[in-house]
Amino acid sequence: MKIFACTNCDYHSVTSKYTCPKCQQGKLQETEVSASGTVYSFTDIHIAPAEFAHIAPYTVALIQLDEAPVKVTARMDAEVQIGDSVELKGLEEGAFIYTKAD
Amino acid sequence: MTNVYVHGVGMTQFGTFVDRTMKDLLLDACIQALKEAGNPKVDAVYVGNFMGGSIYNQEILGAIVANELGLGFIPTAKVEGACASGGIAVRQGVIGIQSGEYETVLVAGVEKMKHASTADVTQAINAAMDNDSNEKRAGLTFPGFFGVLANRYFYETDASKKHLALVALKNRENAIHNPLAQFRKPATLEEIMEARMITNPLGLFDCSPMTDGAAAIVLSSKKSPVHVRASAQSSGPTQMQDADDLLSIPAIKESGRLAYEKAGVGPEDIDVVEIHDCFSMTEMLAIEELGFFRKREGWRAVEEGRTKVTGDKPVNTSGGLLSRGHPIGATGISQLYQLVHQLRGTAPNQVEGNPRLALSQNLGGTGSYSVVHILERV
Ligand SMILES: [Zn+2]
Repeated sequence: MKIFACTNCDYHSVTSKYTCPKCQQGKLQETEVSASGTVYSFTDIHIAPAEFAHIAPYTVALIQLDEAPVKVTARMDAEVQIGDSVELKGLEEGAFIYTKAD
Repeated sequence: MTNVYVHGVGMTQFGTFVDRTMKDLLLDACIQALKEAGNPKVDAVYVGNFMGGSIYNQEILGAIVANELGLGFIPTAKVEGACASGGIAVRQGVIGIQSGEYETVLVAGVEKMKHASTADVTQAINAAMDNDSNEKRAGLTFPGFFGVLANRYFYETDASKKHLALVALKNRENAIHNPLAQFRKPATLEEIMEARMITNPLGLFDCSPMTDGAAAIVLSSKKSPVHVRASAQSSGPTQMQDADDLLSIPAIKESGRLAYEKAGVGPEDIDVVEIHDCFSMTEMLAIEELGFFRKREGWRAVEEGRTKVTGDKPVNTSGGLLSRGHPIGATGISQLYQLVHQLRGTAPNQVEGNPRLALSQNLGGTGSYSVVHILERV
Protein backbone atom coordinates (compact mmCIF):
# COMPACT_ATOMS: atom_id res chain seq x y z
CA MET A 1 0.00 0.00 0.00
CA LYS A 2 1.13 3.54 -0.87
CA ILE A 3 1.61 5.79 2.17
CA PHE A 4 3.38 9.11 2.80
CA ALA A 5 6.26 9.77 5.23
CA CYS A 6 7.76 13.11 6.27
CA THR A 7 11.30 13.82 5.07
CA ASN A 8 12.03 15.68 8.34
CA CYS A 9 10.17 13.95 11.22
CA ASP A 10 8.37 10.71 12.09
CA TYR A 11 4.96 11.79 10.65
CA HIS A 12 3.22 9.24 8.43
CA SER A 13 -0.18 9.36 6.71
CA VAL A 14 -2.23 7.42 4.22
CA THR A 15 -3.08 10.74 2.52
CA SER A 16 -0.63 13.25 1.10
CA LYS A 17 -0.37 16.85 2.38
CA TYR A 18 1.34 19.92 0.95
CA THR A 19 3.46 20.38 4.09
CA CYS A 20 4.03 18.02 7.03
CA PRO A 21 1.29 18.93 9.57
CA LYS A 22 3.50 17.83 12.46
CA CYS A 23 6.80 19.67 11.91
CA GLN A 24 5.52 22.12 9.26
CA GLN A 25 8.91 21.86 7.55
CA GLY A 26 9.26 18.48 5.88
CA LYS A 27 7.62 17.31 2.69
CA LEU A 28 5.68 14.07 2.46
CA GLN A 29 7.35 11.40 0.37
CA GLU A 30 5.59 8.41 -1.10
CA THR A 31 6.63 4.99 0.17
CA GLU A 32 5.28 1.45 -0.13
CA VAL A 33 4.32 -0.77 2.86
CA SER A 34 2.29 -3.91 3.40
CA ALA A 35 -1.48 -3.28 3.67
CA SER A 36 -1.84 -5.89 6.46
CA GLY A 37 -2.92 -4.61 9.83
CA THR A 38 -5.18 -4.98 12.86
CA VAL A 39 -8.58 -3.49 13.63
CA TYR A 40 -8.05 -0.41 15.84
CA SER A 41 -11.79 0.26 16.09
CA PHE A 42 -14.96 -0.16 14.04
CA THR A 43 -18.68 0.45 13.79
CA ASP A 44 -21.59 -1.29 12.09
CA ILE A 45 -23.55 1.26 10.07
CA HIS A 46 -27.25 0.41 10.24
CA ILE A 47 -28.59 3.74 9.01
CA ALA A 48 -26.70 4.55 5.82
CA PRO A 49 -26.73 7.42 3.32
CA ALA A 50 -28.72 6.75 0.13
CA GLU A 51 -25.66 5.67 -1.87
CA PHE A 52 -24.82 2.87 0.61
CA ALA A 53 -28.35 1.92 1.71
CA HIS A 54 -28.35 -1.22 -0.44
CA ILE A 55 -25.41 -2.75 1.50
CA ALA A 56 -26.50 -1.71 5.03
CA PRO A 57 -25.78 -2.79 7.65
CA TYR A 58 -22.09 -2.74 6.82
CA THR A 59 -18.92 -2.44 8.88
CA VAL A 60 -16.42 0.40 8.65
CA ALA A 61 -13.13 -0.12 10.48
CA LEU A 62 -10.07 1.93 11.29
CA ILE A 63 -7.10 -0.31 10.50
CA GLN A 64 -3.69 0.11 12.14
CA LEU A 65 -1.09 -0.96 9.56
CA ASP A 66 1.57 -3.42 10.73
CA GLU A 67 4.54 -1.90 8.90
CA ALA A 68 4.00 1.84 9.48
CA PRO A 69 2.49 4.20 12.07
CA VAL A 70 -0.50 4.76 9.77
CA LYS A 71 -4.22 4.17 10.17
CA VAL A 72 -6.53 3.56 7.22
CA THR A 73 -10.32 3.77 7.11
CA ALA A 74 -11.77 0.78 5.27
CA ARG A 75 -14.97 -1.13 4.70
CA MET A 76 -14.92 -4.73 5.98
CA ASP A 77 -16.51 -7.63 4.13
CA ALA A 78 -17.75 -9.09 7.46
CA GLU A 79 -18.14 -8.18 11.14
CA VAL A 80 -14.93 -7.67 13.13
CA GLN A 81 -13.68 -6.96 16.66
CA ILE A 82 -10.89 -4.69 17.86
CA GLY A 83 -7.57 -6.53 17.56
CA ASP A 84 -8.57 -8.77 14.62
CA SER A 85 -5.85 -9.26 12.01
CA VAL A 86 -6.98 -8.05 8.61
CA GLU A 87 -5.66 -7.79 5.07
CA LEU A 88 -6.53 -5.76 1.98
CA LYS A 89 -8.93 -7.55 -0.35
CA GLY A 90 -9.01 -4.83 -2.98
CA LEU A 91 -10.21 -1.41 -4.01
CA GLU A 92 -13.86 -0.77 -4.83
CA GLU A 93 -14.81 2.62 -6.27
CA GLY A 94 -12.04 4.32 -4.31
CA ALA A 95 -12.75 2.47 -1.06
CA PHE A 96 -10.31 0.09 0.62
CA ILE A 97 -12.09 -3.22 1.22
CA TYR A 98 -10.53 -5.34 3.95
CA THR A 99 -11.12 -8.93 5.00
CA LYS A 100 -10.14 -10.95 8.08
CA ALA A 101 -6.71 -12.60 7.78
CA ASP A 102 -6.56 -16.40 7.96
CA MET B 1 -8.58 45.44 23.42
CA THR B 2 -12.22 46.57 23.27
CA ASN B 3 -14.48 44.66 25.65
CA VAL B 4 -17.57 42.96 24.22
CA TYR B 5 -20.85 42.57 26.11
CA VAL B 6 -24.14 40.75 25.53
CA HIS B 7 -27.14 43.08 25.35
CA GLY B 8 -29.92 40.75 24.28
CA VAL B 9 -30.67 37.17 23.31
CA GLY B 10 -33.57 35.59 21.44
CA MET B 11 -34.56 32.07 20.50
CA THR B 12 -37.52 30.35 18.88
CA GLN B 13 -38.95 27.07 20.09
CA PHE B 14 -36.87 24.21 18.60
CA GLY B 15 -38.74 21.39 16.86
CA THR B 16 -40.79 20.75 13.73
CA PHE B 17 -42.49 23.81 12.23
CA VAL B 18 -44.07 22.93 8.92
CA ASP B 19 -46.04 26.19 8.83
CA ARG B 20 -43.10 28.52 9.47
CA THR B 21 -40.52 29.61 6.89
CA MET B 22 -36.80 29.87 7.54
CA LYS B 23 -37.07 33.67 7.26
CA ASP B 24 -39.92 33.73 9.78
CA LEU B 25 -37.89 31.76 12.36
CA LEU B 26 -34.76 33.84 11.74
CA LEU B 27 -36.53 37.21 12.10
CA ASP B 28 -38.44 36.02 15.20
CA ALA B 29 -35.17 35.30 17.06
CA CYS B 30 -33.57 38.56 15.83
CA ILE B 31 -36.52 40.70 16.94
CA GLN B 32 -36.53 39.08 20.41
CA ALA B 33 -32.81 39.82 20.81
CA LEU B 34 -33.10 43.40 19.51
CA LYS B 35 -36.07 44.16 21.79
CA GLU B 36 -34.19 42.85 24.81
CA ALA B 37 -31.22 45.02 23.83
CA GLY B 38 -33.48 48.09 23.65
CA ASN B 39 -33.45 48.28 19.82
CA PRO B 40 -29.93 49.75 19.46
CA LYS B 41 -28.43 51.02 16.19
CA VAL B 42 -26.89 47.90 14.60
CA ASP B 43 -23.61 48.29 12.69
CA ALA B 44 -23.33 44.80 11.14
CA VAL B 45 -25.14 41.45 10.91
CA TYR B 46 -23.70 37.91 10.81
CA VAL B 47 -25.94 34.90 10.21
CA GLY B 48 -24.81 31.32 10.92
CA ASN B 49 -26.37 28.81 8.55
CA PHE B 50 -25.25 25.53 7.00
CA MET B 51 -27.75 24.07 4.55
CA GLY B 52 -30.11 26.90 3.63
CA GLY B 53 -28.67 26.84 0.12
CA SER B 54 -28.61 23.08 -0.36
CA ILE B 55 -32.03 22.08 1.01
CA TYR B 56 -34.02 25.32 1.25
CA ASN B 57 -32.72 27.15 -1.84
CA GLN B 58 -32.12 30.30 0.19
CA GLU B 59 -28.88 32.22 0.68
CA ILE B 60 -28.28 36.00 1.27
CA LEU B 61 -29.58 35.61 4.83
CA GLY B 62 -27.51 38.55 6.14
CA ALA B 63 -29.02 41.04 3.69
CA ILE B 64 -32.51 39.61 4.29
CA VAL B 65 -32.18 40.28 8.04
CA ALA B 66 -30.92 43.85 7.52
CA ASN B 67 -33.62 44.59 4.96
CA GLU B 68 -36.59 43.03 6.77
CA LEU B 69 -35.65 44.67 10.07
CA GLY B 70 -34.92 48.05 8.46
CA LEU B 71 -31.35 48.18 9.75
CA GLY B 72 -30.10 50.30 6.83
CA PHE B 73 -27.27 49.73 4.33
CA ILE B 74 -25.01 48.03 6.87
CA PRO B 75 -22.53 45.24 6.07
CA THR B 76 -23.86 41.69 6.53
CA ALA B 77 -22.68 38.16 5.81
CA LYS B 78 -23.69 34.54 6.12
CA VAL B 79 -21.13 32.38 7.95
CA GLU B 80 -20.67 28.66 7.29
CA GLY B 81 -18.70 26.25 9.44
CA ALA B 82 -20.88 23.13 9.42
CA CYS B 83 -22.44 22.61 12.87
CA ALA B 84 -20.17 25.36 14.24
CA SER B 85 -21.66 27.99 11.87
CA GLY B 86 -23.45 29.75 14.76
CA GLY B 87 -20.41 29.85 17.03
CA ILE B 88 -18.18 31.11 14.23
CA ALA B 89 -20.77 33.81 13.38
CA VAL B 90 -20.70 35.01 17.01
CA ARG B 91 -16.91 35.08 16.85
CA GLN B 92 -17.02 37.27 13.71
CA GLY B 93 -19.23 39.69 15.64
CA VAL B 94 -16.84 39.71 18.59
CA ILE B 95 -13.81 40.32 16.34
CA GLY B 96 -15.69 43.09 14.49
CA ILE B 97 -16.29 44.92 17.77
CA GLN B 98 -12.80 44.22 19.16
CA SER B 99 -11.27 45.71 16.00
CA GLY B 100 -13.09 48.98 16.60
CA GLU B 101 -14.92 48.74 13.26
CA TYR B 102 -18.35 48.18 14.88
CA GLU B 103 -19.97 49.21 18.15
CA THR B 104 -23.01 46.90 18.00
CA VAL B 105 -23.48 43.68 16.01
CA LEU B 106 -26.52 41.43 15.59
CA VAL B 107 -25.62 37.74 15.23
CA ALA B 108 -28.23 35.14 14.38
CA GLY B 109 -28.32 31.48 13.43
CA VAL B 110 -31.01 29.47 11.72
CA GLU B 111 -31.71 26.08 10.15
CA LYS B 112 -34.80 24.61 8.52
CA MET B 113 -34.45 20.85 8.12
CA LYS B 114 -37.76 19.17 8.86
CA HIS B 115 -39.42 19.98 5.52
CA ALA B 116 -36.92 17.78 3.64
CA SER B 117 -36.63 13.98 3.45
CA THR B 118 -34.21 12.21 5.79
CA ALA B 119 -32.17 11.07 2.77
CA ASP B 120 -31.82 14.64 1.46
CA VAL B 121 -30.89 16.03 4.89
CA THR B 122 -28.40 13.18 5.49
CA GLN B 123 -26.75 13.95 2.16
CA ALA B 124 -26.62 17.69 2.97
CA ILE B 125 -25.09 16.95 6.41
CA ASN B 126 -22.47 14.71 4.79
CA ALA B 127 -21.20 17.83 2.97
CA ALA B 128 -19.46 18.54 6.30
CA MET B 129 -17.12 15.58 5.71
CA ASP B 130 -14.18 15.42 3.27
CA ASN B 131 -16.11 13.79 0.46
CA ASP B 132 -13.12 13.45 -1.84
CA SER B 133 -11.54 10.74 0.30
CA ASN B 134 -11.22 6.96 0.54
CA GLU B 135 -12.90 7.30 3.94
CA LYS B 136 -16.13 8.72 2.53
CA ARG B 137 -16.05 6.12 -0.26
CA ALA B 138 -15.78 3.36 2.36
CA GLY B 139 -19.19 4.50 3.63
CA LEU B 140 -18.18 6.34 6.81
CA THR B 141 -20.87 8.73 8.09
CA PHE B 142 -21.12 11.27 10.90
CA PRO B 143 -22.72 8.90 13.41
CA GLY B 144 -20.31 6.26 12.07
CA PHE B 145 -17.28 8.34 13.09
CA PHE B 146 -18.57 8.70 16.66
CA GLY B 147 -19.51 4.99 16.72
CA VAL B 148 -15.89 4.08 15.90
CA LEU B 149 -14.71 6.42 18.68
CA ALA B 150 -17.16 4.92 21.16
CA ASN B 151 -16.05 1.33 20.53
CA ARG B 152 -12.41 2.32 21.06
CA TYR B 153 -13.37 4.26 24.21
CA PHE B 154 -15.06 1.16 25.60
CA TYR B 155 -11.98 -0.90 24.68
CA GLU B 156 -9.57 1.42 26.51
CA THR B 157 -11.71 2.16 29.59
CA ASP B 158 -14.25 0.44 31.82
CA ALA B 159 -17.03 2.47 30.20
CA SER B 160 -19.94 0.81 28.42
CA LYS B 161 -23.07 1.71 26.48
CA LYS B 162 -24.75 2.43 29.82
CA HIS B 163 -22.49 5.45 30.34
CA LEU B 164 -23.46 6.92 26.98
CA ALA B 165 -27.10 6.27 27.89
CA LEU B 166 -26.56 8.19 31.15
CA VAL B 167 -25.42 11.21 29.10
CA ALA B 168 -28.53 10.99 26.90
CA LEU B 169 -30.77 10.52 29.95
CA LYS B 170 -29.31 13.55 31.75
CA ASN B 171 -29.85 15.78 28.72
CA ARG B 172 -33.38 14.45 28.25
CA GLU B 173 -34.18 15.19 31.90
CA ASN B 174 -32.85 18.75 31.48
CA ALA B 175 -34.91 19.32 28.31
CA ILE B 176 -38.14 18.41 30.12
CA HIS B 177 -37.84 21.71 32.03
CA ASN B 178 -36.79 23.81 29.01
CA PRO B 179 -39.93 25.25 27.34
CA LEU B 180 -37.99 25.87 24.08
CA ALA B 181 -36.60 22.31 23.79
CA GLN B 182 -37.52 19.86 21.04
CA PHE B 183 -37.93 16.73 23.22
CA ARG B 184 -39.77 17.29 26.49
CA LYS B 185 -41.12 13.79 27.07
CA PRO B 186 -39.36 11.75 29.75
CA ALA B 187 -37.36 8.67 28.69
CA THR B 188 -36.04 5.80 30.79
CA LEU B 189 -32.51 4.39 30.84
CA GLU B 190 -33.91 1.09 29.58
CA GLU B 191 -35.67 2.79 26.65
CA ILE B 192 -32.42 4.58 25.71
CA MET B 193 -30.34 1.38 25.99
CA GLU B 194 -32.75 -0.64 23.85
CA ALA B 195 -33.49 1.95 21.15
CA ARG B 196 -32.98 1.21 17.47
CA MET B 197 -29.29 0.95 16.54
CA ILE B 198 -27.89 3.67 14.29
CA THR B 199 -24.13 2.97 14.27
CA ASN B 200 -23.08 0.41 16.87
CA PRO B 201 -22.90 1.18 19.80
CA LEU B 202 -24.87 4.40 19.20
CA GLY B 203 -28.65 4.08 19.23
CA LEU B 204 -31.36 6.56 18.39
CA PHE B 205 -31.11 8.44 21.73
CA ASP B 206 -27.33 8.78 21.35
CA CYS B 207 -27.77 10.90 18.19
CA SER B 208 -29.01 14.49 17.93
CA PRO B 209 -32.21 14.95 15.89
CA MET B 210 -33.18 17.03 12.88
CA THR B 211 -34.59 20.36 14.05
CA ASP B 212 -36.07 23.64 12.83
CA GLY B 213 -35.18 26.73 14.84
CA ALA B 214 -33.32 30.01 15.21
CA ALA B 215 -31.42 31.95 17.87
CA ALA B 216 -29.92 35.45 18.01
CA ILE B 217 -27.66 37.59 20.16
CA VAL B 218 -26.86 41.33 20.25
CA LEU B 219 -23.23 42.17 21.08
CA SER B 220 -21.87 45.62 21.84
CA SER B 221 -18.84 47.45 23.19
CA LYS B 222 -21.21 49.28 25.56
CA LYS B 223 -21.27 47.81 29.05
CA SER B 224 -23.87 45.26 30.19
CA PRO B 225 -23.99 42.68 33.00
CA VAL B 226 -22.70 39.88 30.69
CA HIS B 227 -19.13 40.18 29.41
CA VAL B 228 -17.67 38.03 26.61
CA ARG B 229 -14.48 37.14 28.42
CA ALA B 230 -13.01 34.98 25.61
CA SER B 231 -13.68 33.88 22.04
CA ALA B 232 -11.44 31.18 20.54
CA GLN B 233 -11.52 28.91 17.51
CA SER B 234 -9.49 25.99 16.15
CA SER B 235 -9.52 23.52 13.29
CA GLY B 236 -8.70 19.81 13.32
CA PRO B 237 -8.42 16.74 11.10
CA THR B 238 -11.20 16.36 8.54
CA GLN B 239 -10.63 12.62 8.26
CA MET B 240 -10.77 9.95 10.97
CA GLN B 241 -7.68 8.15 9.63
CA ASP B 242 -5.62 11.33 10.22
CA ALA B 243 -6.38 11.40 13.96
CA ASP B 244 -3.18 11.20 15.97
CA ASP B 245 -5.13 9.87 18.98
CA LEU B 246 -8.60 8.60 18.07
CA LEU B 247 -9.89 9.41 21.57
CA SER B 248 -8.94 13.06 21.22
CA ILE B 249 -10.59 15.84 19.22
CA PRO B 250 -7.72 18.34 19.01
CA ALA B 251 -9.92 21.20 17.74
CA ILE B 252 -11.95 21.01 20.99
CA LYS B 253 -8.85 20.78 23.16
CA GLU B 254 -7.02 23.62 21.40
CA SER B 255 -10.02 25.99 21.24
CA GLY B 256 -10.54 25.35 24.97
CA ARG B 257 -6.88 25.98 25.76
CA LEU B 258 -6.90 29.25 23.80
CA ALA B 259 -10.12 30.40 25.48
CA TYR B 260 -8.79 29.66 28.99
CA GLU B 261 -5.57 31.50 28.13
CA LYS B 262 -7.44 34.56 26.80
CA ALA B 263 -9.81 34.62 29.79
CA GLY B 264 -7.04 33.96 32.30
CA VAL B 265 -9.08 31.20 33.92
CA GLY B 266 -8.96 27.40 34.07
CA PRO B 267 -11.53 24.65 33.71
CA GLU B 268 -11.91 24.57 37.50
CA ASP B 269 -13.26 28.15 37.45
CA ILE B 270 -16.16 27.44 35.07
CA ASP B 271 -19.56 27.28 36.81
CA VAL B 272 -21.85 26.12 33.98
CA VAL B 273 -21.26 24.63 30.54
CA GLU B 274 -23.02 24.11 27.21
CA ILE B 275 -21.10 21.74 24.92
CA HIS B 276 -21.68 20.19 21.54
CA ASP B 277 -23.31 16.82 22.26
CA CYS B 278 -24.16 15.99 18.63
CA PHE B 279 -23.74 12.42 19.93
CA SER B 280 -23.59 11.18 23.53
CA MET B 281 -20.01 10.08 22.78
CA THR B 282 -19.07 13.63 21.77
CA GLU B 283 -20.13 15.00 25.17
CA MET B 284 -18.02 12.31 26.85
CA LEU B 285 -14.91 13.33 24.89
CA ALA B 286 -15.57 17.08 25.15
CA ILE B 287 -15.78 17.10 28.97
CA GLU B 288 -12.33 15.47 28.94
CA GLU B 289 -10.82 17.66 26.20
CA LEU B 290 -12.00 20.86 27.92
CA GLY B 291 -10.17 19.76 31.07
CA PHE B 292 -13.19 19.30 33.35
CA PHE B 293 -12.24 15.66 33.95
CA ARG B 294 -9.17 13.57 33.28
CA LYS B 295 -8.69 11.85 29.90
CA ARG B 296 -10.53 8.52 29.66
CA GLU B 297 -12.31 9.25 32.97
CA GLY B 298 -15.26 11.33 31.75
CA TRP B 299 -17.49 8.26 32.10
CA ARG B 300 -16.79 8.13 35.84
CA ALA B 301 -17.88 11.76 36.23
CA VAL B 302 -21.07 10.99 34.31
CA GLU B 303 -21.75 7.94 36.49
CA GLU B 304 -21.24 10.02 39.64
CA GLY B 305 -23.71 12.67 38.40
CA ARG B 306 -21.08 15.40 38.38
CA THR B 307 -22.37 16.83 35.05
CA LYS B 308 -25.99 17.05 36.22
CA VAL B 309 -27.59 20.41 37.09
CA THR B 310 -26.91 19.55 40.75
CA GLY B 311 -23.34 18.37 40.08
CA ASP B 312 -20.11 20.31 40.49
CA LYS B 313 -19.77 20.84 36.68
CA PRO B 314 -23.28 21.18 35.18
CA VAL B 315 -23.18 20.37 31.44
CA ASN B 316 -25.98 21.09 28.95
CA THR B 317 -28.60 22.38 31.37
CA SER B 318 -30.63 23.31 28.25
CA GLY B 319 -30.97 19.64 27.28
CA GLY B 320 -28.09 19.90 24.80
CA LEU B 321 -28.24 19.03 21.13
CA LEU B 322 -29.52 15.57 22.03
CA SER B 323 -32.79 16.87 23.52
CA ARG B 324 -32.99 20.66 23.13
CA GLY B 325 -32.45 19.97 19.41
CA HIS B 326 -29.79 20.77 16.80
CA PRO B 327 -30.89 23.28 14.14
CA ILE B 328 -27.33 23.32 12.80
CA GLY B 329 -26.67 27.04 12.13
CA ALA B 330 -28.56 28.09 15.28
CA THR B 331 -26.94 25.64 17.71
CA GLY B 332 -23.88 27.68 18.70
CA ILE B 333 -26.04 30.71 19.48
CA SER B 334 -28.68 28.73 21.38
CA GLN B 335 -25.87 27.57 23.69
CA LEU B 336 -25.14 31.22 24.50
CA TYR B 337 -28.88 31.89 24.95
CA GLN B 338 -28.96 29.29 27.75
CA LEU B 339 -25.71 30.52 29.33
CA VAL B 340 -26.75 34.19 29.34
CA HIS B 341 -29.90 33.14 31.21
CA GLN B 342 -27.80 31.06 33.63
CA LEU B 343 -25.67 34.14 34.40
CA ARG B 344 -28.79 36.27 34.82
CA GLY B 345 -30.31 33.65 37.15
CA THR B 346 -33.30 33.10 34.86
CA ALA B 347 -32.47 29.79 33.09
CA PRO B 348 -34.52 26.62 32.96
CA ASN B 349 -32.62 24.25 35.31
CA GLN B 350 -31.00 27.27 36.94
CA VAL B 351 -27.71 26.30 38.57
CA GLU B 352 -27.60 27.33 42.22
CA GLY B 353 -25.01 29.64 43.75
CA ASN B 354 -25.07 32.56 41.25
CA PRO B 355 -22.83 31.19 38.47
CA ARG B 356 -20.23 33.75 37.37
CA LEU B 357 -18.31 32.03 34.54
CA ALA B 358 -19.98 30.06 31.75
CA LEU B 359 -18.40 28.19 28.82
CA SER B 360 -19.86 27.18 25.45
CA GLN B 361 -18.20 24.85 22.95
CA ASN B 362 -19.57 24.43 19.41
CA LEU B 363 -18.20 21.69 17.09
CA GLY B 364 -18.34 21.54 13.29
CA GLY B 365 -17.81 18.40 11.21
CA THR B 366 -16.09 15.33 12.67
CA GLY B 367 -13.75 17.58 14.65
CA SER B 368 -13.07 20.01 11.78
CA TYR B 369 -13.99 23.20 13.64
CA SER B 370 -14.44 24.08 17.30
CA VAL B 371 -15.39 27.42 18.85
CA VAL B 372 -15.28 28.19 22.57
CA HIS B 373 -16.76 31.27 24.25
CA ILE B 374 -16.41 32.15 27.92
CA LEU B 375 -19.01 34.52 29.38
CA GLU B 376 -18.72 36.30 32.70
CA ARG B 377 -21.34 37.94 34.92
CA VAL B 378 -19.97 41.42 35.78
ZN1 LIG C 1 7.33 16.34 9.60
